[in-house]
Amino acid sequence: MDISQNLEKNDRKFALPVDSEHKATEFRLFSMATPHMRAFHLSWISFFSCFVSTFAAPPLLPIIRDNLDLTATDIGNAGIAAVSGAVFARIAMGTACDLFGPRLASSSLILLTAPAVFLSAIANSPAAFLMVRFFTGFSLATFVSTQFWMSSMFSPAVVGTANGLSGGWGNLGGGATQLIMPLVYSLIHSHIGSTKFTAWRIAFFIPAVFQTLSAFAIFFLGQDMPDGNYVRLEKSGEKHKDNFSQVFYHAITNYRGWILALTYGYCFGVELTIDNIIAQYFYDRFNVNLHTAGIIAASFGLANLFSRPGGGILSDVVAKRFGMRGRLWTLWVVQMIGGFLCLLLGKVGSLTASIVVMLVFSVFVQAACGLTFGVVPFVSRRYVLSPVC
Amino acid sequence: MEVPAGFLLVSLLLFSFAATGYGITFSSLPRSLVVTTSPTQGQVLKAGEEQITVTWALNQTFPAGTDSAYRTVKVKLCYAPISQKDRSWRKTEDEMKKDKTCQHKIVSRPYSASNNSFSWTIMRDIPSATYFVRAYVFNAEDHEVAFGQNTNAERATNLFEVQAITGRHASLDIASVCFSAFSIVALAGFFYMEKSKGKASQQK
Repeated sequence: MDISQNLEKNDRKFALPVDSEHKATEFRLFSMATPHMRAFHLSWISFFSCFVSTFAAPPLLPIIRDNLDLTATDIGNAGIAAVSGAVFARIAMGTACDLFGPRLASSSLILLTAPAVFLSAIANSPAAFLMVRFFTGFSLATFVSTQFWMSSMFSPAVVGTANGLSGGWGNLGGGATQLIMPLVYSLIHSHIGSTKFTAWRIAFFIPAVFQTLSAFAIFFLGQDMPDGNYVRLEKSGEKHKDNFSQVFYHAITNYRGWILALTYGYCFGVELTIDNIIAQYFYDRFNVNLHTAGIIAASFGLANLFSRPGGGILSDVVAKRFGMRGRLWTLWVVQMIGGFLCLLLGKVGSLTASIVVMLVFSVFVQAACGLTFGVVPFVSRRYVLSPVC
Repeated sequence: MEVPAGFLLVSLLLFSFAATGYGITFSSLPRSLVVTTSPTQGQVLKAGEEQITVTWALNQTFPAGTDSAYRTVKVKLCYAPISQKDRSWRKTEDEMKKDKTCQHKIVSRPYSASNNSFSWTIMRDIPSATYFVRAYVFNAEDHEVAFGQNTNAERATNLFEVQAITGRHASLDIASVCFSAFSIVALAGFFYMEKSKGKASQQK
């Protein structure tokens, strides 16, 4: 899919209205037009698959913990490992996007982490379980390439919406997996007839293959920028090739990046923590059965369908009237409310109240994430995303 | 008409609790059955392959008529304290509804005072852990009324281990490794293709 094969740069026509940098000024959700909307769909689907893989283990833990003889401590450590690897991977990913372009950076990372998911099927001890969850978690760095790609493809007017939707629908994977994995597992267990301890292993091939296929889709169907891929644009001189240490230096000396990193840690970090523990929380505290706990856990992550994109859209809406100040104030208010609701969740004692508070809490914490990424593209035009994630 | 409605509600709740056996505690159950099992202390048995034989009978030292309400016996495989440590999903609770000590059913039989025996092949989904055997006796309303176990009150004697299947198969191992290798090779392919595209546009 190399547009440049046939057309000169000035003759290129885009399906969507574009600005002077050829970034789309409109966001049409149901379009698949190259390059803008196709990039959107490729990025959210691949990010979704990474989330499905990273959180594939929690819903199957009742089986896995018996098979691998895990203790509660082992499970907790594996959960932390699953999300902590992404911290450094995301920093590296930002730089990789600046240097190689989001298309190559994301498809590479996805293919590098797919083996961790395949090898989860043959894990045989608590240590092995921790390792596969740790390396699978690196795939969450595709978030950076998703946001970078959207920021390259969409103009400031709609970038909040694009970022919020792609990030939110990707995060949806964390909720969807709580429904997908038990379903796949029970299909394998009852219809193919494998024993419990074999069925969960086979089940892991599903997210692994999905992840691999999404990497292929990105590589063959996507392009880095509206005008083409980095490698072609750099060689032909249309794009300046950045230097790694320059990029990194300017990123880490930008104070805005650090502030946003802190606030994001306390909305997205909280969201991931909840993803890891919410099923167990309901199971232990209210003695619901595992299926019910899984459904409740899924609904937390599934709120991402509208809540994170809602945050992004809200950011764009207030920006029209109040500019950057509006974006920042709205972020502050929404995240504060999310914080209070989190405190409240720990205090309520009945099952119904807990579920209600959890659902409202999920909307606010995820909207705060969406609002954060309405601000991020404006931290620095050149060195977009290295520091924040 | 508030008082009668309230009374109705409370008595309805009480009846429903009574019907569900709400609130039966383990500590209230008499240990009126004697249970013995074939494995010796510390023996390791393989799931899916080896058998255990359980025998149970009424403890004759109890007064006659103790077993008048006994209808069914359910024999279960239960986790020993060492396998419950740091695993809250196997926790022992006094309230029977919340207790998670005995999660694996061995057999269910109508009650008879003696001559009860059952040989059980350890199922393939039993996890690796240390176990003992407990038999619960149920009355006609399906509530626990008595129990017996092959270990002492502290659950420290006559414990045996089960070694579970791994669930792994050679075909799974091979598939896993092959797919992983394929991903890496595909990645190398991507880089190669990207490089040659770059060269091609440079030559233009």
